Amino acid sequence: MKTMVVVDAHETAGFWRQYVFSTDHKMIAKQYLAISAFMALVGGLLSYLIRSQLAWPEKPVTGWGFVGPDAYNAFVTMHGTIMVFFVAMPLLLGAMGNFLIPLMVGAPDMAFPRLNRLSVWTLFVASIVLLSSFFVPGGASPAGWTGYVPLSDVPAYTGAFWGINLWLVALALEFASFLMGGVNFLTTAINMRAPGMTLWRLPLIVWMQVSASVIFLLSVGPLIAGAVMLFLDRTFHTGFFVPGKGGDPLLWEHLFWFFGHPEVYVVALPGFGAMLEIFSVFSRKPVFGYRTIVYSTIAAGFLSFVVWAHHMFVSGMDPRLAAPFSVTTILISVPFAIIVFAMVATLWRGSISFETPMLFALGGLATFIVGGVTGIFLGSEAADIYFHGTYFVVAHFHYTLFPTVIFGGFAAIYYWYPKMFGRMMNDALGKLHFWLTLVFFNVVFIPLFLLGIGGAPRRVYTFEAYNFLKPLQPLNVIATYAAIFLLLAQLPFLVNFAWSLARGKVAGRNPWHANTLEWTTDSPPPHGNFDLQPVVYRDPYEYSLPDSSEDWLPQSQPAAPAVAAAAD
Amino acid sequence: MSSTASVLTRNNPHNGKIQSVPIGKIAIWWFLASEMMVFGGLIASYVLLRIHNGGWAGQAAHVRWQLGTLNTAVLLTSSLTMALAVSASRQDKLRRTAVFLGLTVLLGVAFLCVKGVEYTGELREGFTPASGLFWSFYYGMTGLHALHVTGGVVANLTFLVMAVRGDLWTGKQRRLEYAGLYWHFVDVVWIFLFPLLYLS
Amino acid sequence: MVNTGNDDRLYITIWGWLLGLLIAGVLVFTLHLATIPLLVLIFTVAVIKAALVIRNYMHLKAEHVLIYAIAGIPVLLILGMALMLIPDIVFHR
Repeated sequence: MKTMVVVDAHETAGFWRQYVFSTDHKMIAKQYLAISAFMALVGGLLSYLIRSQLAWPEKPVTGWGFVGPDAYNAFVTMHGTIMVFFVAMPLLLGAMGNFLIPLMVGAPDMAFPRLNRLSVWTLFVASIVLLSSFFVPGGASPAGWTGYVPLSDVPAYTGAFWGINLWLVALALEFASFLMGGVNFLTTAINMRAPGMTLWRLPLIVWMQVSASVIFLLSVGPLIAGAVMLFLDRTFHTGFFVPGKGGDPLLWEHLFWFFGHPEVYVVALPGFGAMLEIFSVFSRKPVFGYRTIVYSTIAAGFLSFVVWAHHMFVSGMDPRLAAPFSVTTILISVPFAIIVFAMVATLWRGSISFETPMLFALGGLATFIVGGVTGIFLGSEAADIYFHGTYFVVAHFHYTLFPTVIFGGFAAIYYWYPKMFGRMMNDALGKLHFWLTLVFFNVVFIPLFLLGIGGAPRRVYTFEAYNFLKPLQPLNVIATYAAIFLLLAQLPFLVNFAWSLARGKVAGRNPWHANTLEWTTDSPPPHGNFDLQPVVYRDPYEYSLPDSSEDWLPQSQPAAPAVAAAAD
Repeated sequence: MSSTASVLTRNNPHNGKIQSVPIGKIAIWWFLASEMMVFGGLIASYVLLRIHNGGWAGQAAHVRWQLGTLNTAVLLTSSLTMALAVSASRQDKLRRTAVFLGLTVLLGVAFLCVKGVEYTGELREGFTPASGLFWSFYYGMTGLHALHVTGGVVANLTFLVMAVRGDLWTGKQRRLEYAGLYWHFVDVVWIFLFPLLYLS
Repeated sequence: MVNTGNDDRLYITIWGWLLGLLIAGVLVFTLHLATIPLLVLIFTVAVIKAALVIRNYMHLKAEHVLIYAIAGIPVLLILGMALMLIPDIVFHR
């Protein structure tokens, strides 16, 4: 192993410069990871309170006390906001994108390291603002994570004047943070690639991260405009969304979902990217249909801008719009079906080894298919009118985002942990974590599908008023017990993570025998990433080539090692 | 760290065309694209609600199109002086750069002053942001635009100080070009806000 | 790019055009035309002015296709969004 020749001020920098106000993309990635882990804890505890209230309504929740309708609404709102904006995006884009993009393209750091630092600190401030809204008079925003008007518009309707204002400020800061992050993703992937790293040799996760950033950039603007209008409505008593003053509540829903639907792909695509990398490595096969996947991603990106109104079929929107949006919604399942088929074809006849990252990736793929198929029900206007207000939507939503964000995220953490921290995670504990998570996840959300089909309305804090739901109440209890076990099932992960930091097996440069550039440098990579500027000679997934003696061929290796028989 | 990164970018042995675009230029256009989506969202909402509500001709008749015209001319001229400043800095004519940057800053401030006069007059006549949806959009959009102008004035002022001090070296010249792109963008937004709010 | 100073003359010419178009637009406004022709005229003028600024002052005419994409796609998306919202906002109720 070569010794590092690059010694710069950073190596000798003090604690603050090295761990807190660092400009190193790897440290920034860890900061994103820490923020998302903490927020996931908060979001998870909120889901415990929500589920307990639904299973045992009007009874004090163990460890918390009485919940009640106002607090319940605030908890649901904050659970959604936290999980989508402060867990999924920081984990998959912030942590994984920041860590992987420079390493995978062979760059010493991001294109704008100080902007990168600014973006993580903006997110930190946004998190503080959001969490502080729990403690202001009136409590946190109870208007739902979609902030529908007029509920969110007129302070008197909710009593949460500061709660919703802070919610808007937190979202604005979060958007600013990820716009800054996106600048880095795009410029680094375009302009900082190592010699030989053509666009068609980029690992798929880099394509996915950059596509996600571009989709985010293009979709978030109208919502920022809407947020400005909502803020003016709340503070200056304008009437942008108030029908009595000439405004239109539907406008908010359009502006929100013009962003909200592409946002699903912003968090889903990086998860798919992680799964694809892992499938290829753990089945020792090239990814099936690399270019097809890239084209599908781009197609899905474009289509994601013309499907948003399928969230609004029951909003009172113009019925003439519903049919075209139904068609585009069904259409967008095609590129995703292609990606899923490519994943399955990658696994086909591979020499699969079931280590923890692979298990999580497979679990993500399997559960995502359920989410995708139930999406067809909701995309068709006629079926959606029945399902939309019910728990079917809640279950469908969790079946799409849990596989990509949580399974994909855990797969990525288990897979790249050795590169991030230099040590392996414990495989037995990892497998325990996986199986518990997989089982309890399904036991939580399958009952919710059934409740939805049975007509259980979402956005209510108790079903006690509905006699026809009384026979279904056991499903709620099952889901709640499973949710508690699902949360407890994360303990092996936390133990594993902490224990492996100190005691894990030392990983070495390339523990998984993978091809992409990040595995050619030290674990963890030094400041500046590579001892020598890497040069790329081949595609990222050249596993099990027939005329090579090794079943893996790093991107930076000029020629394949000859087969032993040929040398005889 | 940033120095290592930029050295690598500059000496990139690639001849691939896409790498020839400087990262700063991609970044500023990326930022402008997000701004386009924000202003675009506002403008689209305004146009749609205005048609829906039958025109708001009565409310719109109260804005002072003469002052708006003056302000448009001021902003267009400041765009010219900005372009001249950037072009002077490229030829390393620091004095000329400083003069034109100073003019740009003055014109930006003049724009804000005229806007202030307009706001005071309108508020005195009793038109507040809550006086009707036209006024909500008027104050919202021109206010957001004025914030952007203020930001641009501050940025231009920083470059003016650099030019006067004589430390506008190559890297900063590029940054001045990007500040110019931002300033022209603010101008373009106004080019659309002017007919939307004052002439129709 | 070697700057010969010719750009400066171009900038001033463009500025002349911009002011001319501004005056033309305002004159059209003072003519008190019917609504539709007025709107068509003043927004045509605005689009031409914007195009002049973007092409010349912002140098879009000399940019890589990547910059065109970054600048153009948002415009198309906003136009598309506005078109799709017409039935819902303009003709609502």
